[in-house]
Amino acid sequence: MTGALHLLRKDLRLLLRGRGLLAILIGYPLVVAALVTIALQSGERRPAIAFVNLDTGNRTVRVGDRRLSVADYEQRLANDVDVKRLAPTAAAAALEDGRVSAVLTLPQGFISDLQSGIRSPEIGLQVSRRSPIEAQSISRRLEAAVFGLNQELAGTYVTQTLDLVRIIVEGGDIAVFSRSGSILGLKRSEVLVRQLQAVLVGQGQRLLANRMDPLLNFIVEAGVNLDLADAAATAISRPITLKVPPTPPGREPLSAFGFAGALLVSLALVGVLLSAAALSAEREDNTLVRLRRGLIRPEALVGEKVLFAAIVSAAIGLVLLVVVALGTSLAVDRWALWVPTLLAAGLAFGGFGVLIGAAARETRGALLAALMLALPLIFLGLFTESRIASAISQAVPFGPAFRSFQTLLVDPSVSSSGLWLRLGQLVLLAAVLTGGAALVLRRRSES
Amino acid sequence: MSSTTPSLLRGAGLSKRFRDVAALDDVTIALQQGTAVALLGPNGAGKTTLLRILAGASSPSAGSVSWEATAVSGVGWVPHAPAVYRRLTARENLRLFAALESAPQPDLFAEELLTRADLTRYCDTRAGELSTGTLQRLNLAIALAGRPSVLLLDEPTATLSPDQVRRLWTWLDELRRDDGLAVLFSTQSVDEAVRHAERMVVLNAGRSVFDGTAAALIDAYGTAGVSETDAAEAAFLNLVGAPA
Repeated sequence: MTGALHLLRKDLRLLLRGRGLLAILIGYPLVVAALVTIALQSGERRPAIAFVNLDTGNRTVRVGDRRLSVADYEQRLANDVDVKRLAPTAAAAALEDGRVSAVLTLPQGFISDLQSGIRSPEIGLQVSRRSPIEAQSISRRLEAAVFGLNQELAGTYVTQTLDLVRIIVEGGDIAVFSRSGSILGLKRSEVLVRQLQAVLVGQGQRLLANRMDPLLNFIVEAGVNLDLADAAATAISRPITLKVPPTPPGREPLSAFGFAGALLVSLALVGVLLSAAALSAEREDNTLVRLRRGLIRPEALVGEKVLFAAIVSAAIGLVLLVVVALGTSLAVDRWALWVPTLLAAGLAFGGFGVLIGAAARETRGALLAALMLALPLIFLGLFTESRIASAISQAVPFGPAFRSFQTLLVDPSVSSSGLWLRLGQLVLLAAVLTGGAALVLRRRSES
Repeated sequence: MSSTTPSLLRGAGLSKRFRDVAALDDVTIALQQGTAVALLGPNGAGKTTLLRILAGASSPSAGSVSWEATAVSGVGWVPHAPAVYRRLTARENLRLFAALESAPQPDLFAEELLTRADLTRYCDTRAGELSTGTLQRLNLAIALAGRPSVLLLDEPTATLSPDQVRRLWTWLDELRRDDGLAVLFSTQSVDEAVRHAERMVVLNAGRSVFDGTAAALIDAYGTAGVSETDAAEAAFLNLVGAPA
């Protein structure tokens, strides 16, 4: 154990002595974080779309007491995207050269269709095939905008229908779907029928008066049932309501995902490459042959390299967190949980690195192998869409580390038990990988 | 074994196999205090494998390594390629290895080793910047950090110039004489073996084919009427076969 501490001190001293390496180790994660921030900002910017209006009638549609025009629709879109009014050919050219990400076309007769209420008007959307991710995002934004407009129109139609129902019950002037006039209403009809029955009874025509009872019953029943229309119509217009809890400030999922990803890529590469290089450097300096002569056990030697990588990557992680806490709105707090999380992740990354370092014959080979093996697995840890990807990412340190980072960034009321379980998984992975590296080192020393 | 002096370190029936290849086959060797033994043999004869096993850097497939009960069981190992941290200075290397060897006062002992290895001038120079001869002296000084009673050297002079060779042997002879160290060194030079070793062990294809003095080697395999060095070299070549 003492021997391992002497070697740890030596490794840290060599690291601090190499100013170039130190600058790379600190600068590289900062550059990665900056690039990810830029990428995220570009993801959050308002995309530009071309708006082509082929409905040149400049008409407005009246829905109940509201009037809607193409300009109103354009105004609504401008809340979500940067709208550029263009002619069809100019819009196509803009889409081709990348000035806009999509072309939205309002066909001729759009307002008429909306006015008639008989046929649903259609809007054409053509997205750029050159930037599929942005195109997908625009499609979703416009779908959401159209959905919002549809809901608003449906609400207006329902209000108008309920007004009509109220007039049917109460009586009064009516103007729906371009028709207008005055109607009696069920309540006044009931009064009139009852008055008529009383007159007939007074004239001795009771039989005739009784024959009007079914009509009276219908008027009363219809009135009672139409009173229920308000609640029913509201439920039909909004059958399902999506309830989304508000996101606490600084915990936007996209930003958190981006920073957790940047943290993973940076620290994983630092941890893996540093531990692989530190162990293979012992072989390259030929000092391994001295150390293996009983000065230090293989388990202690690889354990020291793992600890070295964990300390350095945790320190770099803390530097990154401080920079992010000072320079962005991302909520980086709960330092008491960040420290063990970074250390556990660093241990696991170090374990992955020493396994490669133990197998490699020289440092350059170790670094190349570490990079080639780690990179795809890191990205697998970021995007675990399929079951197989998820299973693989759980078997290597990168998946659990990413989810731990994400938990601390996104979840304001992080479940300690869940996080500790994941950290336990990381420590277990570190132990297994370190044990494997010690075994490889023992065998390689004999060959 | 030709000497009657009690053995300090003894390897008995040592064998080492790498898959189907026998790198060492039933070799027995003994080292006495204050004596130097040269390990001769063509390339691939098993010299380094034997040294690694005696140094504890490798375990034998068969056989054992034992120490005289009263001996301080410390081996100083000087591998062929210097085993030093090239980005640490000479002083830092010695301090680190003295600490790893659990020396009572590692920093003080490192200073003593720097003086003995005549490295004081280079104490703050990084090992990677030292000349070949100076680096080899540092390599040897590190081997002494554990205060060994046996020194094992794998072709220590192979890459050195004649003046560096002389300087190294002056120090090694001092260590044998003053500290009573047993020295076992492998070499490709019969001349070096004749000059600096009391005994020679000749390995060929993993087997020990001779263990005795230079005179005994000449008697058994040499030609009369030439100098001892030439005669020993001729005898060695007769024994292991001249290179093609």
